[in-house]
Amino acid sequence: LEEQDVSEFERAKRAADERRLVESAAKGSAAAFERLYRLHAGKVHGLCLRMTGQRETAEDCTQEAFVQAWRSLPRFEGRASFGTWIHRIAVNAVLAQARRRQEHIGVRASIEDELADSLPDGSVGDTGAGMDLEAAIAGLPAGARHVLVLAGVYGYSHQETADMLGVAVGTCKAQLHRARQLLDQRMRQQERDR
Amino acid sequence: MTHDESNPRIDAMLSALPRELEPQRDLWPAIEARLESRPGRGRPARARAWAWQAAAAVILVAASSLITASLLRRENAQTAQVVTPAPAMPVSQAAFGQPNGLGEGYESARQELAADLERRMSSMPASARQKLLANLAEMRRAADEINAALARQPGDSLLEELLLNTYQDELGVIASVNQLTTAGATSVTAQQENIRL
Repeated sequence: LEEQDVSEFERAKRAADERRLVESAAKGSAAAFERLYRLHAGKVHGLCLRMTGQRETAEDCTQEAFVQAWRSLPRFEGRASFGTWIHRIAVNAVLAQARRRQEHIGVRASIEDELADSLPDGSVGDTGAGMDLEAAIAGLPAGARHVLVLAGVYGYSHQETADMLGVAVGTCKAQLHRARQLLDQRMRQQERDR
Repeated sequence: MTHDESNPRIDAMLSALPRELEPQRDLWPAIEARLESRPGRGRPARARAWAWQAAAAVILVAASSLITASLLRRENAQTAQVVTPAPAMPVSQAAFGQPNGLGEGYESARQELAADLERRMSSMPASARQKLLANLAEMRRAADEINAALARQPGDSLLEELLLNTYQDELGVIASVNQLTTAGATSVTAQQENIRL
């Protein structure tokens, strides 16, 4: 129970610290905004990388998301956490980028390089399975991949995912179902090929 | 995670994926280069050291000029104001927080500014004066806390910006006092002129 209290206290303290940083950044403090960037860059970049499947595009989207966040911060009302808010901005950046490029789908070698550097230390087997899964996600059709990343990896509800992607909830459910089936097939195929 | 019609095996694998994937290179310099200025926007790190002292000096000069100009206008108007006697107040109550490495010149000017402000407050209604003192005390408490943090982390750019923002907020309050007392004097003068007509 004490550990739980400490954990609650730490969470509340982090949230309060973040609120102060957001307020300072909204008033124009680049130093506060840089701290927010350091806190959230990994998660935003992870989202962008998985949604785009391409490292350079993901970096562009991450940059764009933080620049857009800086511009919009004075209007940020704090109803959601800063993390959730910038995730939404990042999703918009990915979708805008995809529209501009008319997105080409496919497994890119760069994501495997990226993931090899980014995945935490673990057994070789676990890391290999993680990379197989990441490669399989990157190879999904764009619509299915976007829904899977938001709902399956980052835990957003169907409604939230549908709102972020600008699709109907029914479409979101169908895409997630399709993505899971495709992933399952591909993972089983990879296991058979070993 | 959204698990309806779930595939437990796939869901377990997805749940085990790390949420954070750091970019291979630091994206901040490119982001910072694209940040447009906003009021209060921080300067690049290299410029912060000297900009910090310069900004403090500008705030002080602006505050002093504001009050001097207002006092001159009041003398010219030669208005008869109803003066509510104010209790004696220590200068420090209406002053900036402890200056953080701003030098003797700053301290001297700060004392002068505080004395001017005290004189102006003596002509304010008691309720307004209490609110003003409460606001100034709150800002001074914030400035003291930031100064204490700066003593522990000298040169921290965020703390320096927060301290400057606090000083700017205090200048805003002083400017409000200036406007209120000047507007009050103008109003009394206008009433007197109307009576003469």
